[in-house]
Amino acid sequence: MTSIIQADALTRRFGRVGAVDDVTFTVDEVGILGLLGRNGAGKTTLMKLLTGQDFATSGTARLFGASPVENAGVLRRVCFVKESQTYPDSFKGRHVLAAAPWFFENWDADLAMGLAEELKAPLDRPIKKLSRGQRSAIGVIVGLASRAELTFFDEPYAGLDAVARHVFYDRLLEDFSRHPRMIVLSTHLIDEAADLLERVLVIDEGRLVIDAEADALRASATTLTGSALAIDDIARGHEVLNREQLGGTAAVTIAGLSEGDLARATAAGLERSPVSLQQLVVHRTRGAVREEIAS
Amino acid sequence: MTGLAPAPARVGVASAAGRIWRVNRLHAVNPWPSLILPWLITGVIFGLTYAIWRLVASVAGGLENIDDNAFQYGGGASWILFYMMVVAVQAMNQTFRFALGFSVTRRDYYLGTALHFALVSVMYAAGFTALAAVEQATSGWGIDGAFFAPGFFADLPFAQVAYVYLMLFLLFSSLGAAMATVYVRWKSAGMLVVFGVLGAGIVAALWLITVAHGWAPVGRFFTTNSIPVIASWSLVVSGLSCTVGYGLLRRATPGE
Repeated sequence: MTSIIQADALTRRFGRVGAVDDVTFTVDEVGILGLLGRNGAGKTTLMKLLTGQDFATSGTARLFGASPVENAGVLRRVCFVKESQTYPDSFKGRHVLAAAPWFFENWDADLAMGLAEELKAPLDRPIKKLSRGQRSAIGVIVGLASRAELTFFDEPYAGLDAVARHVFYDRLLEDFSRHPRMIVLSTHLIDEAADLLERVLVIDEGRLVIDAEADALRASATTLTGSALAIDDIARGHEVLNREQLGGTAAVTIAGLSEGDLARATAAGLERSPVSLQQLVVHRTRGAVREEIAS
Repeated sequence: MTGLAPAPARVGVASAAGRIWRVNRLHAVNPWPSLILPWLITGVIFGLTYAIWRLVASVAGGLENIDDNAFQYGGGASWILFYMMVVAVQAMNQTFRFALGFSVTRRDYYLGTALHFALVSVMYAAGFTALAAVEQATSGWGIDGAFFAPGFFADLPFAQVAYVYLMLFLLFSSLGAAMATVYVRWKSAGMLVVFGVLGAGIVAALWLITVAHGWAPVGRFFTTNSIPVIASWSLVVSGLSCTVGYGLLRRATPGE
């Protein structure tokens, strides 16, 4: 079976800066993939490389088994909604929606019009006069209504308010369950999108630092709250992702605890709480607290 | 969930000609800037020119007091050539980034854009020629004026007027497209270098012609060749511009 996405040692340098640095991963099954990371981590550049909009310095990108660069056969199955997408000065939203079906063969015009209404996207005003949120709405409409087999959303909701963002999440899930396809969603609003994501890639300074199923990732760490001494006892030999202490009480996020460790924690009267995806990503990418407690 | 099966190939969408045609349509999805507005402005300029002719005639105390060819030389119609150049620059600069977002390859984009400007050139060449025919049929709009076929155009058969117009439109739009690809690829730094090199090249050419005593042959080229032949030589420049533009755009990225 051909992979949907295959990145092999994919690298893009701007001068000496590695915007994308030796990234390798494979996507074989359709689903919603979260591409997470801080601003400037390389998410957009990675997606540009995967869609042939930018050229790799080294390594290869393959979509549906072939290079996307200048490959119309591959690109017609792909839609990339870029945060920084620009439109010709003379274009109004309706021009974008009129032209879209010429390029996206699965285009659903009814879905597009419904979304435009729900997101209150003005279709009859020049796009360059729209607010950032309204421009984002146009991108969201294109991304969803194109129903491309592989759709990249790059921070699709910059400037959208909470209501519009939830319209996006709802419509995305709804349409995805009706027309399963590969969705790659890059975002820094991790908590909001967390429930959508089945798999998570985390990019930090151009490097792929996490590639995991969302559930497995959530289960990979636990926060224990209670006596600092008792926690330290259990944390010994494990990776501590975060630690806050007030007097003798501490809240410590620990990775890789075994069932036995957790049973001991319960026995010691410690409180266990799950770690959100956002907390995990923050802990993993800020590189601050990574002390291994000596055993 | 399973992986994707290969998509069924749909006739039309996959064919290269179909994709290129769609890019051409993309340029016309809003017909206002390149297909409608130029006609309106042409109409306004013509109206103003006509009013001035009438004004001059009235001040002179009637058409009979004016030289025969007084209204035969005017550059009013040439504005559209520069306008098409600007349209080509904007199309390359703005539509390229947009089309890439619509999953168009650079190759299809460039060929579709070239097709669009070729068709637009044909349309304007045909339109201006038709208006030149009206101009002649009405004895220069009733006052011996020449707007659509001024100067040397006046003596040419209409087929040649159409041909020369077509050559001019192609030349200006391909020059605009080539300059815009330099901008898309290297932004303003690239433009500065190109204009610098172009300026130096022109000065060097003038200098070479002078030291080689070449001005007489250059003059002979323009006096012994017919206007359509001279116009045909613009195809060399147009073709070169298109080739350079294509080469540059194939490696261009849409930037931020």
